[in-house]
Amino acid sequence: MAIIETTDLTYTYPAGTKLSLQDVSITVEQGEFVVLTGPSGGGKTTLCRCFNGLVPHFYGGKLEGNVVVTGLKVGEHSIYELARHIGLVFQNPENQLFALSVEKDVAFGLENLGIPRGDIRKQVDWALEITGITDLRERPPHELSGGQQQRVAIACVLAMQPNVMILDEPTSFIDPVGAQKIFDVINELNKKLGITVILVEHRLDLASKYANHVIVMDEGKVVLDGEPREVFNSDSARLIGVGIPKATRLYQILKEKGISLKKVPVNSEEASQLLREVLTHDRG
Amino acid sequence: MSVFDGFKFRRVYSPIHQLDPRVKFFYVLVMFVIAIMFNQLLPLILLFFIQLPFVFVAGVQREWVRSLRGALFFAIMIFLFNFVFQYFWTEYPLPPSPSLLEYSIAMTLRFIVLIESFSMFFLTTSPDHLGLALEQSHVPYEFCFAFTTAVRFVPVLAEEAQTIMDAQKARGLELERGNFIKKVKNYIPILIPLIVSAIRRSLELAEAMESRAWGATEKRTNLYVLRVKRGDYLLALISVLILIFAVYVWIFHREQIPLLTNFLAPLELTVTKIS
Repeated sequence: MAIIETTDLTYTYPAGTKLSLQDVSITVEQGEFVVLTGPSGGGKTTLCRCFNGLVPHFYGGKLEGNVVVTGLKVGEHSIYELARHIGLVFQNPENQLFALSVEKDVAFGLENLGIPRGDIRKQVDWALEITGITDLRERPPHELSGGQQQRVAIACVLAMQPNVMILDEPTSFIDPVGAQKIFDVINELNKKLGITVILVEHRLDLASKYANHVIVMDEGKVVLDGEPREVFNSDSARLIGVGIPKATRLYQILKEKGISLKKVPVNSEEASQLLREVLTHDRG
Repeated sequence: MSVFDGFKFRRVYSPIHQLDPRVKFFYVLVMFVIAIMFNQLLPLILLFFIQLPFVFVAGVQREWVRSLRGALFFAIMIFLFNFVFQYFWTEYPLPPSPSLLEYSIAMTLRFIVLIESFSMFFLTTSPDHLGLALEQSHVPYEFCFAFTTAVRFVPVLAEEAQTIMDAQKARGLELERGNFIKKVKNYIPILIPLIVSAIRRSLELAEAMESRAWGATEKRTNLYVLRVKRGDYLLALISVLILIFAVYVWIFHREQIPLLTNFLAPLELTVTKIS
């Protein structure tokens, strides 16, 4: 079942002169882990904003085409209605936390929805547990590290129990170790809880091993859309300037030199496995 | 700025910290009103000492002393203004006398009592609690939210100001150069980026709020509730008693409050007799 479906989506910001989105038609299935990538200014963030109604309700302007998310037409439902089903985590963790303690922040969305206190307590504890920040609950957000803050931001959205979670470059302000932890949390949400994940990301080396669907955008258009192996191995991905995983790049270089591996690797574990096979085969 | 140190909350737990902010605020108001009611030295001295036990129970002596020390400059100014201006610039100049001295000290002490009680309040009340108290006093949620968010972003903006200052200094901006007006002008290259980034930040903040169902219902729930406990009733009772006593004295015995200089007068007399 398609959980997100857009047809011929076209949008320009009210102050903008060029199209931010141009005829975007994509389908995301329930339970998928989508990596959305492409050069900066390619419309990735704008597309994310379309999914939860920030475009057009918050930003204004006219949205042409259709977006249906979890069965709701975005144009016809307000942001807070959509917020129950779609969670959006932003790039800068600092600017999405506004309470004076972690716990209070995680409760914010639920409080807005007017959920009874007992249920808020339960859902907050659950979200803190899953993101592994139960011990930080009393701390003020500004005292935390970037990685911890971003996990709090994920917990904030998770507490509202959305079906879809969109993360807009959640690791760009964060060191590699912190980033890895965040990817682990996101992966768990997808695999264990079955939440559909859309991850906007440049660091494909880290992110690609979780993905089962990759979309590449450039200049407001969808350029590539499909299986990670196909997308990363296609020539246009490299030409646009997508930082394709090094494992895939290695595969291409080897191929040019006349060594072909059995399949296209998308992460280093796969690559080392395939290389080992080739090497033992040659020796034998 | 050391005056403000006395208003910074530090996370400690004491019986005073656990009290309901509304009750604590009522207590502060009572102190405030009484301090304004009397302009004699004796009641103000009493008022000063009444508050000491709270400070010690809360265990915030150090911060509290620091806030008073910060207020020292203003206190001295108030004293001088009262003492000097009463003498020179009024229609009926009072000559410098022990009673004028006492009056000036009383005015200074009034200011100190006000600082004392307010700093006690802010030192022992977490901004979170304060926001909650506002909410439960039926202040519109938008205001409470603005308040807690402002408190939340103070350290963030302070850090950002520091970063901008370092960046501008690295490009050769000299902050401490020139006369007063020049010095103020020096800060423009710091203020503008700071304001711009604050506006940007607020936009992102609004986006995040919207994404978390801001304004979904009129009747918002809250994770925490403030409950009035036994200690709160006790403090409220103490405050009311103090207020009643003060009003009683003010109505019936206002004129009879002795000046401290009167106590000193007989001493002087005996001294002259002996000589």
